[in-house]
Amino acid sequence: MPQDANQVKDHFELFRGEEYTDMLAKKKAEFENPHPAEEVARVREWAKTEEYKDLNFSREALTINPAKACQPLGAVFAAVGFESTLPFVHGSQGCVAYYRSHFSRHFKEPTSCVSSSMTEDAAVFGGLNNMVDGLANAYNMYKPKMIAVSTTCMAEVIGDDLNAYIKTAKEKESLPQEFDVPFAHTPAFVGSHITGYDNAMKGILEHFWDGKANTVDKMVREPNGKINFLNGFDGYAVGNLREVKRIFDMMKIEYTILGDQSDVWDTPTDGEFRMYDGGTTLEDAANALHAKATVSMQQYCTEKTLPFIANHGQETAAFNHPIGVEATDSFVMEVARLAGVEIPDELAKERGRLVDAIADSNAHIHGKKFAIYGDPDLAYGLAKFVMELGGEPVVVLSTNGGKAWAAKMQDLFDSSPFGANCKAYPGKDLWHMRSLLFTEKPDFLIGNTYGKYLERDTGVPLIRIGFPIFDRHHKHRYPVWGYQGGLNVLVTILDRIFEHMDATTNIPSKTDYSYDIIR
Amino acid sequence: MTSLSQTIQDVFNEPGCGKNQAKSEKERKKGCTKQLQPGGAAGGCAFDGAKIALQPITDVAHLVHGPIACEGNSWDNRGAKSSGSSLYRTGFTTDMTENDIVFGGEKHLFKAIREIVEKYAPPAVFVYQTCVPAMIGDDIDAVCKAAAAKFGTPCIPIQSPGFVGPKNLGNKLAGEAMLKHVIGTEEPEYTTPYDINIIGEYNLAGELWQVKPLLDELGIRILSCISGDAKYKEVAWSHRARAAMMVCSKAMINVARKMEERYEIPFFEGSFYGIEDMSDSLREIARLLIERGADPELMDRTEAVIAREEAKAWAAIAPYQERLSGKKVLLVTGGVKSWSVVAALQEAGMEIVGTSIKKSTKEDKDKIKKLMGDDAHMFDDLTPREMYRKLKTAEADIMLSGGRSQFVALKASMPWMDINQERHVAFAGYHGMVEMVKEIDRTLSNPVWQEVRRPAPWERAGAASWQDRAMSEDGSSPEAGVDGTPPSATGPAITGQEAA
Repeated sequence: MPQDANQVKDHFELFRGEEYTDMLAKKKAEFENPHPAEEVARVREWAKTEEYKDLNFSREALTINPAKACQPLGAVFAAVGFESTLPFVHGSQGCVAYYRSHFSRHFKEPTSCVSSSMTEDAAVFGGLNNMVDGLANAYNMYKPKMIAVSTTCMAEVIGDDLNAYIKTAKEKESLPQEFDVPFAHTPAFVGSHITGYDNAMKGILEHFWDGKANTVDKMVREPNGKINFLNGFDGYAVGNLREVKRIFDMMKIEYTILGDQSDVWDTPTDGEFRMYDGGTTLEDAANALHAKATVSMQQYCTEKTLPFIANHGQETAAFNHPIGVEATDSFVMEVARLAGVEIPDELAKERGRLVDAIADSNAHIHGKKFAIYGDPDLAYGLAKFVMELGGEPVVVLSTNGGKAWAAKMQDLFDSSPFGANCKAYPGKDLWHMRSLLFTEKPDFLIGNTYGKYLERDTGVPLIRIGFPIFDRHHKHRYPVWGYQGGLNVLVTILDRIFEHMDATTNIPSKTDYSYDIIR
Repeated sequence: MTSLSQTIQDVFNEPGCGKNQAKSEKERKKGCTKQLQPGGAAGGCAFDGAKIALQPITDVAHLVHGPIACEGNSWDNRGAKSSGSSLYRTGFTTDMTENDIVFGGEKHLFKAIREIVEKYAPPAVFVYQTCVPAMIGDDIDAVCKAAAAKFGTPCIPIQSPGFVGPKNLGNKLAGEAMLKHVIGTEEPEYTTPYDINIIGEYNLAGELWQVKPLLDELGIRILSCISGDAKYKEVAWSHRARAAMMVCSKAMINVARKMEERYEIPFFEGSFYGIEDMSDSLREIARLLIERGADPELMDRTEAVIAREEAKAWAAIAPYQERLSGKKVLLVTGGVKSWSVVAALQEAGMEIVGTSIKKSTKEDKDKIKKLMGDDAHMFDDLTPREMYRKLKTAEADIMLSGGRSQFVALKASMPWMDINQERHVAFAGYHGMVEMVKEIDRTLSNPVWQEVRRPAPWERAGAASWQDRAMSEDGSSPEAGVDGTPPSATGPAITGQEAA
C-alpha cells in the first residue's frame, strides 16, 4: 500500500516510498519520452557557460524570476505605518490577496488591507460604484481612522480618477466629509514596490500638508527642531524602526517616524486581535510639516517624497540602507548635525563593540566573493558593508534598480580595491543571476528567500538578507540598521560561512579531519 | 616517595634539556618552571599538558578520570587532524560526583573502561589522572592493570593531576607514560633503513601532511609520529625506528632522549618552520639515517629536493616583496619560532621590530642575533599591559602570535595573525612559509584594520581616546582590566606555558 491509514505519510516521506519511486520510474521510461540523460546533462552544463550567459543577457521580452514586486504592495506597506489606517486598493481583489499573503508570510502577522473588488462590468464602465460602495463598507466594517487608497493596474488602465471618485464617494455619504482618505496612483506597470511606497507616502503627506484635496486650507509651516524619519520599503521594519527609535531616544532627538510599521506587524498574542496597532498618529503626520528636516534611509524609495518635503522648506538627507560602521557613522553624524545634538557615549560604545566584533572575525569574510541582489538601496548597503569587511562583491543585481543606481554602485566599487572586480546589473532578474553565479563563481550569495533555488541549482550558499524571507522565521524582528544591526548582519553572514564550512567537512573518515569545534 | 613524584623529579633532571643542566641541584629540585604567582592569571595545568600532548593519537579512547571540570571544558579543543579514526575527538570522562569522592572512584573508573571497551573496542584506553582522584587516592595504575588484564585491551595510566605543575610539565609526564607503558610493546610488520620517528609534532591544521610528501619522495618512512595523526600501534612500535626528529623540544625532550638511551635511536632537534630550518631538518634526518646504515646516496637526493623546494619557495615569496616591503612585524611567540620564521619574513621584505624570547634557548637567542643583528629587540616575559603598550608604541604593522595574545593586539587596533597552535592554516614546510607570507599579506590588506583604527568620526581631533587614557594610567589597575583580556582559565596572553 502506498499510503497506510494507520501511519499516514506526509509529502516529505510519501513519494520516497518504493511504490512511488517505481511508478515514477516506469512512467518516465514508458510514457514521458524524455530526452536522453546525456542530452539533459549536456544542456545543464551548457547553461553554465559564458555562451549561455550571453544568450541569457540578450533576452529582451521575457523576465524570469523577477526580484521585485508591484507598486501597490509598497503603497500598502507605507499605509499600514499610520495609526488605525486601512489600506484600500482600488482595483481587482486578487492583487490585494497577494499583498496580504506576501506580508503575512514574511512578517508572520495578519495584514489588513481591502480592495474595491472591481470586476468585468467595472472594467467596462469604470470603478466609481466600487469605490463608493467599497469606501462605505470599509469605513463601516473596519472602523479605521484613515483609509489610504492606492490602485491596481486594472483601475489605472481604464484611467479611474481617484481624486474625483473619493470626492463623489463622500458626496454620496460613503464616509464623512472630513474623514481622511489620502490617495496615490500606483500602477504596477510603472516602477516597482519601492515606487509605490514613494507615491503612497507622498500622497499621505500631501493630503495632510496641502489642504486635503482642496477641502481645507493648506497648512503653514512653523519650523521646529524635530526630525522626520522615513524608513522606505524595508523587510526589517519591525526590528529596524525599534532600533532607530532607541538610537534617537538615546541621542535625545525629537522625531517623527513617518510610517511606523513596527507594532502592526508585531502584535502580542494576549487574547486581543489588533487589526491596527501603533503607527504614526495622523496628528503627527500632519505636524511633520513643521520639522526641521527629514531623513530617508532609502534614497530610491523616496525619490518623489523627499523633493516634495524639500519643497516645503525642510532640509533633507537620503541614505542607501546604511549597514555597517561607516554607513552608520554617516547616518548618526548627519542626524546629530541636523538635530544639533552630540553623539552620546553609549552609542560610541555600541560602535566600538561592532568594530570589535568585526576585528574578531575579520579573517573569515576577508577575500570571500559575494553576489548580492535586492532592492537598490539594500543592495547598495550590503555591498558597502561587505567591502568594509574585506569581502569582494562580484555581482550586485537589482531588478528594480535603474541606470542611476548602477552608476552609484560603480562609484562605490571604484572607491575600494575590494570592489575592483564587481559589476552592477540594473534591471536584471534572477535567471540572469543564475548565469552570473556560474560564470563569476562567487563564494556566497546574499538575497531573499527566492535565492534558495539559485543556491540549489548553482551550489552557491545563500545568505538570507532581504525581502521577502518566507522560509526562515522572525528575521524581521532583528534590526540591520544601527551598530547593533550591523552586528546582526555580520553574524548572519558569518553563520552561513561557518555552516558551509561544517557542511563541507562532515563526511566521516573522508573530510571530517577539518570538522572542528573551534572556528 | 611516590612514583608520581619520582617521575616528576626524573623529568626535572632531564639531561637532554640544556637549561636544566645549567641549574644547581637545588634549583633543579624546584623544577623547570617558575612557581605560579598566586592571584595572577595562570596558564594550563599538567593535566591539560598531558592531554593535549597525547590527544592527537587518533584511535585511542582518551578517558579522563575526574569531575566534569577537566574534560567538560576541554574536549576536542585542538585542531590536530586525523587521517583515520576520529575516536580521539570523543570526550570520555568518569564525571566524578560526591559519592565517588566519599567512597573512592576506582570502581567507577573500572566500569567506565569496561563500557568503552564494549562500545568502542579501541586498541587502547588512555586514563588521565586529575586532581580530585589523585587527592582521594584513587590508584589508576592498579585499575588500569586490572582492567587491561580483564578486558584484554591495553589501559594506559597517565599520571597528570593538575596540581603537580604547569602544562609543560604535563607534556613531559605524558611522554613518561608513553615510555613506561606503550613504546616497545608492539612490533612493526616490517622495518626499513629509512624509518624515522617524529616526536613532538601534533599535526595541527594538518602540518605533518605538508611535510610528509617530501619524506615520501625521499623514501623516508614516518614509522611513528608522537603524537600527530598517530595510531596506538605506531607509538607502540616506535622503538624500531632508525632515527628521530625532535620537533618541539621543550614539550617531549624526555621521550626522545630516553628512546636514544634505551633503543639507541639517535635524535636531533629540528623545526619544520622556516625554509632554512626545513632544509636543515631534512639534512639531519638523512644524515642520521645514513649513520644508521641507510644508503649514502640518500644525502644526494635530499640535497636535490632541498635545492628544488627552496628555489620554489623563495620564488613564490618574491612576488610579495612589492606588497610587503617595509612592513614591520612584531613576533610574539617563543622557542624556535622566535627566529625560524624571520628569514622568510625578511625575504618578503618585512622588518622585524621585535621578537619574544620567553621560551627560547640560548641557541635560539644567538640565532636571532645572527639574523637580526645585535640591536634585535628581544622581549622576555611580557605582561598583557606591557605588551599593549609596546604594540601601541612599536609602530608595528602586524603582530604574529598565539591565540591568547590575539585580544591584546585587537584591542590595541593592531593587525594580528595566529602562528601558534590554534591556527587553522598550516605553516609547516616550504609550502607553509609561502602560505604564511600569503596570509600576512592577506591580513595586512584587510580593510577591517582601517576601520578598527579609525576613531569614531564625531570624536574631536586631539581629544584623548579611551586608549590614550588607558595608556596614561599609572598601571595600578589590575592588568586584566585594561586590555580586555579576561583572566580566563586558559591563562594570560603571554605568561602561560604552551605545548606546541
